[in-house]
Amino acid sequence: MRNIKSGITFGIIGGLITFLFGGWSVAVMGLFMGIGLGLLLSGRLERTYKPIESSSSLFAKIIFTITTMFNSGKRALPTALTAGGVLVVFSLIQNFVIQPALGKFVENIDFVLVTNIVALFITIIFTTLTASLRGLSEKQESAARLILLAFVVVAFPFIDKFTELRWTAQIIFALIFVILGLGLNIVVGYAGLLDLGYAAFFAIGAYTTGILSSPVHNIELNFWLVIWIAAAMAAIWGLLLGAPTLPLRGDYLAIVTLGFGEIVPVLFRNLIDVTIKEPLTCWILPLFRIQTTCITFVSHEDLTFGEKGISPIGRPSLPFIGEFESSNPITWYFLIIAIILLSIFLINRMRESRLGRAWMAIREDELAAGQMGINPVQTKLLAFAMGATFSGFAGAFYAAYIRGIFPSVFEFSASIIILSCVILGGLGNVNGVIVGGLVLMTADRLFLPALKDFLSALLTNTILPSISNPVVQSAVKDNANPILYRFLLFGLTLVIMMAVRPEGLLPSAQIRQELHSAEELAAEAEASSKSGKKR
Amino acid sequence: METTKPKKKIDLRRTAIVALVIYIILLIGPIAGLDFPAIYAAVKANPLQLVQFLIIGIANGAIIAIIALGYTMVYGIIELINFAHGDVYMIGVFTSLTVLSLTGTLDSKDPGKIIFGLILALIIAIVVCAALNAAIERLAYRRLRNAPRLAPLISAIGMSFIIENIGLMWAAQAWLVPSFGTTGGASQKVFPDMLGALFKATGFNGGDVNMLASTGWALRLTIKDILVIVLASVLMIGLRLFVQRTRLGKAMRATAQNRDAAKMLGIDIDWVITATFLIGGGLAGAAGLMGGLYNNTAWWFMGFRAGLESFTAAVLGGIGNISGAMLGGFLIGLLRSFSDGYLSTRWTNAWVFATLVLILLLRPTGLLGEQTGQKA
Repeated sequence: MRNIKSGITFGIIGGLITFLFGGWSVAVMGLFMGIGLGLLLSGRLERTYKPIESSSSLFAKIIFTITTMFNSGKRALPTALTAGGVLVVFSLIQNFVIQPALGKFVENIDFVLVTNIVALFITIIFTTLTASLRGLSEKQESAARLILLAFVVVAFPFIDKFTELRWTAQIIFALIFVILGLGLNIVVGYAGLLDLGYAAFFAIGAYTTGILSSPVHNIELNFWLVIWIAAAMAAIWGLLLGAPTLPLRGDYLAIVTLGFGEIVPVLFRNLIDVTIKEPLTCWILPLFRIQTTCITFVSHEDLTFGEKGISPIGRPSLPFIGEFESSNPITWYFLIIAIILLSIFLINRMRESRLGRAWMAIREDELAAGQMGINPVQTKLLAFAMGATFSGFAGAFYAAYIRGIFPSVFEFSASIIILSCVILGGLGNVNGVIVGGLVLMTADRLFLPALKDFLSALLTNTILPSISNPVVQSAVKDNANPILYRFLLFGLTLVIMMAVRPEGLLPSAQIRQELHSAEELAAEAEASSKSGKKR
Repeated sequence: METTKPKKKIDLRRTAIVALVIYIILLIGPIAGLDFPAIYAAVKANPLQLVQFLIIGIANGAIIAIIALGYTMVYGIIELINFAHGDVYMIGVFTSLTVLSLTGTLDSKDPGKIIFGLILALIIAIVVCAALNAAIERLAYRRLRNAPRLAPLISAIGMSFIIENIGLMWAAQAWLVPSFGTTGGASQKVFPDMLGALFKATGFNGGDVNMLASTGWALRLTIKDILVIVLASVLMIGLRLFVQRTRLGKAMRATAQNRDAAKMLGIDIDWVITATFLIGGGLAGAAGLMGGLYNNTAWWFMGFRAGLESFTAAVLGGIGNISGAMLGGFLIGLLRSFSDGYLSTRWTNAWVFATLVLILLLRPTGLLGEQTGQKA
């Protein structure tokens, strides 16, 4: 029953999304929802795998594996059918009820039938396929899951191109925030230092790239070199800005990082007329009536071009592919996927290393960690530097992808958006941060604009003509713009997550325990007092 | 001899470091407007301007101080940076603008009606902001009272975003917030100068808003400056008396000192905390009307800046300390106006934030705060 309920939930979520996009989106949602549902189900299903005698032939082994997988998949079939059915019902509602309300009538009934049948099959196939991996041994299962995920990640931009949904460009933005979230997760999740100015490092990475690879400064370095310089620059500034905050804890640390995070955009906005004169020779010695010649290092240099921003910025190019074009998001997509894979690899290695364990020890109890021989100064500084490194990557990619950088992008709200991604997904857990970043940023960049178009079409075609009062009419028309509510989205995410599930959607076991230790202690005390009464 | 020698060496090193830091500040400072020869020249050219900036700084500082009181009271009692407090102030600005607009005060020429409208706006802004602040506490902070320290701070940031969004929507409602052209950004609204209008309506001082016009000095001391400073002083003295003399004030101080002990002595902690938020919110509402009248803008994002400035003021004075917040508010106001006047308007925010960072790093207990050890 629980499984059927999950199936209905997934079907409804996918179905509501098809409301916004229509067309082939139902099939794409079937793919995503199928895999998500399959992963969820396989966690609930019992493992049907039984070790096979090694003496049996290869053919027998294959047959045996297929049978166990089939058995697992069979149990997921009712759920898969429910999910697919709900999805298709929603899609049909979309085509025959919603679309006419938006002023678009169904012209090609064959297309509708084809998309819905394909969606139904895809949902069922991918749900059962993902669930059937439960029939493999533990090792094989995780490998098979990875292969499945890799298939989806690689196939996505091509599916997107075929179905003409044009999601890839927006997904790339979400992926930039995934990298930023991964970096912030080191500082906040692993080392437990709440950094409210993380966008400053993003800005430093982006501006480093902008200054070093833009023709406006006549230093056009290659992107593949600049991305490393940007990461190194961000890391250095992570050290410099982290060093003064070392004696602080908790909310004071958060406010100091916020202060730095506010100063950096002001800096980039205002470094437009830089003059550096040597003070001794220019005015201090003349005060004592000593004649000198004034030494000027820099005179009226425009470094960041203020609000106008730096544009254009050089783009990466590769043999066989040539220069990356903005018209073709697929190359950019694979570039950022490569950066994310590198980041995940580095972060996982770091977490398991001595340094990573030191971060977590500092997070749990700085005093005790210090007594155990961990150098808190070095550990915290490395957390800031490592966290900043990944935002350097993200900044370099962002600058090259957008082809221009503007100071307003890197203000306080950017820091908080990144923090929301990390909090939503789950502090201290790489998978959680990826899911959180993807969910929140696709909601921001993909669903809100789609919802805006959806609502405005619905209003002009159906709702507004039925409202006679002109004041109400204009008020409804002005306020039905979901993009205006994006701060609400992030704010509510933070408030609700803190109230309901502070450990995030996919928490790390350690942090969950920490956050709920008080409740568990209370429950234990209650239980022990009850048992005491019984006696 | 043996003991003095290493000591002298360390002193030399320290001096060298201090000298190096000063040199670097002198070298790089001019980029951000800290150019001593230029400042000296500006002061010498027009010494009266110094007094002018002093007046502006004190008036702005009074508003900042009133907002800072809300921060400092809440921090004193539950050790939480109420990040949404600055946005409550922003809601105060919009509430008073809406009240002035709906009562028809904005285009009235009748002095009695203007005064009535202003008083009504003050009362309604206080009530709305007090209720909003208490609601924020109830919704976002109360259940997190025993959670890890950072959870309520993150919740507060979320609340701040939500209220900013409400302000954004509010600014878009033309029937609530009339448009008198925009100042700067597209979503910034003009808050009309009601006090100037009142002056013209009564014909007091020859209808000239500048009280010092008859002296012939190149100085402006307008009714705005006077009203803001007077009203702020009344509120501050009132709050001080309230906390010192009344029973609830005593309960607040007791709760701030030790929450558990206060609870054992029969103080209703939840009510005391709610009352603190109500008072803080009410002060922010009053500051909203004052800030709107003084700076003549209403903008959904103004709460963030104002909030950070007043938080800086609260920390500068010593967080949890009411007199400290007032002192800090005036100091930050002066810093702002002198930075605007002599350094560079573009860099003022950076200077304010740099002050915040420096205080937290060098003296986290503030000017008037007691040593609280590792509390921070």
